[in-house]
Amino acid sequence: MGVVVQTIGFGIAAGAVISLGAVGFTVQFGISNVLNITYGAFMTLSAYLGYALLNRGLDVWLALLLVAVAMALISVLFNRVFLGPLQRRGAGFVSVVIGTVAAGIILQGVIVILVGPGAITYGAQFGTTVSALGFTFTVAQLIIIGMTLALMLGLHLLLTRTRIGRAMRATSTNRTVARACGIRTERIIDLTWLLTGFLCGAAGVALAVTTVTFDFSLGSIFLIYMIAAAVLGGIAQPYGAMIGGIVVGVASQLGAAYWSPAYQDVVAFTILIIVLLIRPRGLFAAAGVTRRNLSAT
Amino acid sequence: MGESPATRGCAMPRRPGAYGSITSKAVKLSLATLSLVVVVLAGSVGASANRAAGTLNVAVIAPFSGPAANLGKFISLSCYAAAEEVNKAGGVLGNQLGCTPVDDTGDPADAVPAVTRALATSNITMATGLETNTAAVTIPLINNARVPFFTANGLPAFDNTTDAYFWRISPSDAQNGAAYAVWAKLKKYKSAAIVVQANAGNDTAEPGIVRALKKLGIKMTIKLDIPGDAASYASVVAQVIKTKPQVVITADDPQTAATFFSQYKQLNNGNVPPLITATDSLTPDFFNALVKVLGAQFVTKDISLVGYHVNPSSAAFAAYKDGLTSSSHVSASDVPVVTGIGVIAALYDGDIAMALAMNAAHSTSGPVWNKFIVTVTAPGKNKVVVHTYADGLAALNAKKQIDYVGTGGQILFNKYHNSAGNFSATGFNTDGSPRLLSIFGGGLIANALK
Repeated sequence: MGVVVQTIGFGIAAGAVISLGAVGFTVQFGISNVLNITYGAFMTLSAYLGYALLNRGLDVWLALLLVAVAMALISVLFNRVFLGPLQRRGAGFVSVVIGTVAAGIILQGVIVILVGPGAITYGAQFGTTVSALGFTFTVAQLIIIGMTLALMLGLHLLLTRTRIGRAMRATSTNRTVARACGIRTERIIDLTWLLTGFLCGAAGVALAVTTVTFDFSLGSIFLIYMIAAAVLGGIAQPYGAMIGGIVVGVASQLGAAYWSPAYQDVVAFTILIIVLLIRPRGLFAAAGVTRRNLSAT
Repeated sequence: MGESPATRGCAMPRRPGAYGSITSKAVKLSLATLSLVVVVLAGSVGASANRAAGTLNVAVIAPFSGPAANLGKFISLSCYAAAEEVNKAGGVLGNQLGCTPVDDTGDPADAVPAVTRALATSNITMATGLETNTAAVTIPLINNARVPFFTANGLPAFDNTTDAYFWRISPSDAQNGAAYAVWAKLKKYKSAAIVVQANAGNDTAEPGIVRALKKLGIKMTIKLDIPGDAASYASVVAQVIKTKPQVVITADDPQTAATFFSQYKQLNNGNVPPLITATDSLTPDFFNALVKVLGAQFVTKDISLVGYHVNPSSAAFAAYKDGLTSSSHVSASDVPVVTGIGVIAALYDGDIAMALAMNAAHSTSGPVWNKFIVTVTAPGKNKVVVHTYADGLAALNAKKQIDYVGTGGQILFNKYHNSAGNFSATGFNTDGSPRLLSIFGGGLIANALK
């Protein structure tokens, strides 16, 4: 039993990083209706920016905050300069997605040109190890878990308790009607990219702290896990993405411990398929639809 | 799906959490994810070709992009060093030797079109590289094109190959695996854990490790294959720690090793047992990554890297080093690193042997000069022993028969065109350069695999 608890703890720590990225990814998709594959490359860029700040002697968590702010601005700029005009000129959903794929590859290539293909190391940023109730975490993991929960809670309060949040949801549901109702949807979209860019930046640095060493492929690899978490939880569901991330993390670690480390991803993605077969819209979206259907009757 | 609040009027949606039409987005997401996968699988960074009139092109078939890009870089350095030495001595039959990088990305799916394209467009005379991850698909292509090649692959499947144009002067992975175990025995370890990253090279090395550990009486506490570049190995690390190994035999890329052993340190009160790994890891990336997470003292004292041995005091090695330092394609900082990797030096020997074979055959046609590779490397009475291309060329021009003895010593091809050589254990100096710890003969490995 002790091993199970310990392994679940390892999974929560791994899943928290996936959740952090997945929440931003799914909210961005839900509100702006752009499936932004560049998100992975932005996470990679964040990790490199964090490394540059670490080399200047900054504390890793301060570096994370600064990178998150920088990525929030870069994210808004990316939407305004590239994706916005693309959509205004009539590019369809798939064209925009391919555009983000292309932008991601270009950004990855630029990173390789600037810093080379070799591995970069953050070093031992994990702090001391803390054990309690059968769980074992490092201080860094606890900070990342806490940060994920805090950002999740903040996002929840923003979306449910503020006029801006309601405007974001209205924009998500029908941008034209929202605009007709007086919502300045362009600003709402900017705000969405600002918030999700912040989450992307934080996730990129947190991921590099967790993996310790990385290269230009960091974000591309973990984007798959984040998409899986978003799908598992229910697309455009921040809570779902968070739970999805934890499920993917825990399933991977349990798979590694009780089957084979080489197949830990197989376990995680098998669970994803099983969940989707039972609840095709994901864990949380299905419940939401039920509630909405009930309220409509 | 029920009617959404927004389509009914201007009321704000009441249900928190859901944003937009879920079904249509799911379809879009699937399409986009599929696109992403296609793009990722097809992605590669092209490598520049090096062609010129009167140039004999050596195809350097290796990963020049992706996670194993450094391996491709090091393999290409051996070619540039050989080209430098050959061209300095006047070239081959009036031609200059040039190196043409062919980026196989380390992925068979990318390797096939890349090599096919190179064969069709780059006028390839000979080839080098063809490392383990892609060898199974690249070797048949090159062999069928009747291009002689020296390979860095360690697949035991090629131990008894009948491919006429195949040549290898480095051990197979099974022999390398056994060498880790022999070194563990020489260091008097009684128990060892095997933790290797799942890939083609390690899959074929593992049986050699297991077999040799058993033969040598070392207890194998656990054997685990781990995926590369995972966010966490904590549950795997916990399993290894539980078995209390005296040494960990491992083979991983720098990212994987740094993540795995940093978590080992976290979960084992700051302690990590000594590591035995492959000389492939004698790279700045591996050194820097491990120093940052385990400390310089551990890395210089407790990590030993085992593999094919080259003799740094030999005349062939001096020529190899001269070629590296003279080549404009090689940066000075790479020289101390690359000279520590035996397999790379073996490829240099292969390039020199091929160039000498062309001279001996008076032909640049592969099917003609291929069999002369044995002619210029086999020992024999009345043969002139040479250690450099220049000396070999001079002897051939003087109508003498030659025996090229390379950086790893005498080359002795068996009937399958394999020559295994000796092994060594190397450590890191504080600046990341290699430090020879010990040399042990191929006989020990052969015994451990019996």
